[in-house]
Amino acid sequence: MSSDGYLLEVKNLRKWFEVRRGFFSKPLWLKAVDGVSFALRPGEAVSLVGESGSGKTTLGKTVLLLHEPTDGQIIFKGEDVTHLKDKKKMMWYRRETALVQQDPFGAMPSFMTIYRILEEPLIVHKVGDKKEREEMIYRALEEVRLTPVEDFAPKYPHMLSGGQLQRVAIARALILGPSLVVADEPVSMLDASVRVEILNLMREMQQRRNITFIYITHDLSTTRYFSEWIYIMYAGHIVERGPTQRVIRNPLHPYTKALLAAIPDPDPENRKRFREVPPGEPPGLINPPPGCRFAPRCSRVMERCRKEEPPEIEVEHNHFVKCWLYV
Amino acid sequence: MAMLEVENLRLYYATRKGVVKAVDRVSFTLEKGETLAIVGESGCGKSSMAKAIARLLPRNVHTYDGVIRLDGKNIMEMSDEEYRREVRWRQISMVFQGAQNALNPVLKVGFQIAEPLMIHEGVPKEEALARARKALRMVGVHESFADRYPFELSGGMRQRAVIAMALITNPKLVILDEPTSALDVITQANIMNLLKKIKREYQLSFIFITHDIALSSELADRVAVMYAGQIVEFTDADEFYTNPKHPYSEKLMASVPTLRSEKKLEFIPGAPPSLLTPPPGCRFHPRCDKAMPKCREEEPPEVEVKERHYVKCWLYA
Repeated sequence: MSSDGYLLEVKNLRKWFEVRRGFFSKPLWLKAVDGVSFALRPGEAVSLVGESGSGKTTLGKTVLLLHEPTDGQIIFKGEDVTHLKDKKKMMWYRRETALVQQDPFGAMPSFMTIYRILEEPLIVHKVGDKKEREEMIYRALEEVRLTPVEDFAPKYPHMLSGGQLQRVAIARALILGPSLVVADEPVSMLDASVRVEILNLMREMQQRRNITFIYITHDLSTTRYFSEWIYIMYAGHIVERGPTQRVIRNPLHPYTKALLAAIPDPDPENRKRFREVPPGEPPGLINPPPGCRFAPRCSRVMERCRKEEPPEIEVEHNHFVKCWLYV
Repeated sequence: MAMLEVENLRLYYATRKGVVKAVDRVSFTLEKGETLAIVGESGCGKSSMAKAIARLLPRNVHTYDGVIRLDGKNIMEMSDEEYRREVRWRQISMVFQGAQNALNPVLKVGFQIAEPLMIHEGVPKEEALARARKALRMVGVHESFADRYPFELSGGMRQRAVIAMALITNPKLVILDEPTSALDVITQANIMNLLKKIKREYQLSFIFITHDIALSSELADRVAVMYAGQIVEFTDADEFYTNPKHPYSEKLMASVPTLRSEKKLEFIPGAPPSLLTPPPGCRFHPRCDKAMPKCREEEPPEVEVKERHYVKCWLYA
């Protein structure tokens, strides 16, 4: 653990992907994550919210070192893990972190039984003998409430529903006792009524085990039920971050305001009014606009916004916004 | 007379495992200029209902009967050829789930929008293309995009193009089956604004199928809740979103996360039943916490609890 109590510190992280159009042409860079900083304490849950193409998945995967960072620093438990070369160290980081993916069907090898799927990480990390592993697997299945466990263990993925399979994915992610978990849209492929169930389960396990959790989603309305922090991403930047309730009740960035305004609650009045939403689409990330990346769509844009990138400002305690309006 | 009257509509599929009762004796009416939202979990027959009304049926149809009256004329009596010529696109058109990916990649967008006009109304190509440009403008896409290929348009623009295609023949009824489920929230809100505008200006009727209750309230004047192939509640939007009556509707509403109000989220235990062997009595009884012995045995009648508010539940009988 670092001296100031953070489990994870991310400093000015960048992940650029090389794009080549033709063999001899000069490479272009797609700046999926472009200078992102934040820090999380043990047991904190954050929702990383953004539209498709905002870089939220890339950020999650880069933090887990599933992508090699282009620039910046990742400090985990006080250690710089940005460019881990040592195999032993990498095994340690893999054990300490885990990923839950969006599509549980795609994330599970179809030829393995649930038992085998859960045993795999234990074998790779040489945990326990056969008997101990069996105990751990049954306990993990019980924890995600796939009971009776003897019935579920020998099944194959296709025999389970999406919700059940996502429980297996959660059990697999947590079986090695990680301290950091990234869940990438874990409920977006599930039915609305099942979503709540899975979110509740994840939240419960996260709190019980004091896991630091990064919940990636495009759905702002579920964040309230899951995390104490919200980070809003737009075109490779975190444009606003703060305590969940604050961000929802008192959004500062024009993009956050637009995002919130776009989400309906069930209300018969909705059909009688138009929503105020910004025109256009997020910019391309190969040549993003100079200055603020939201400027071309922003209703409160100023001269300065088009030229200079805004700094991140702490408007109220722990509530940051990257916008010239607050300078 | 209602513009659309559906009575006892059935659509069963024959599968190797048996007969799937996807739409099972469904009745409802829809007035001109009104939007009916059909909501429910996946696998409860919403999309099959859309297909049944648009008569876009797969090969393994087992039973397809009932009455669909469009402006008083029973279109179920028409032959497929008659239906194709008289009804599809000309009177009823549709926008399907993921339709933005259904555009033909090798044809220009404008041509694809113009196609229904040329095929169903015999409009000459030049005129059809000109009208396609106008339709594009109407849905908020610059008309120069008519000369582009689908890959050159963003997801939201493609969706607008597909909506333009559904509107170009001036139909009376447009069926929207999860029209925005693949789009981002801001794009989705933009499309909803567009649909509201079209609804206001052209007095069109929509059937809006979605699993997203909050989103359904963006368009719905009337709401039908489907469960296991049947409509279990049918009422006005003002009534439904504030005072749902069927236990399933209540549960469904309680599972919707909300941004602006505090509430504890609930979920519905279990999953919708198989449509091969739906439970006897009320199909919701295995998941219902208000189930009575009667619910397990007898199918509940449709009760009019208030004017224009129908609930298929023994609690109100």
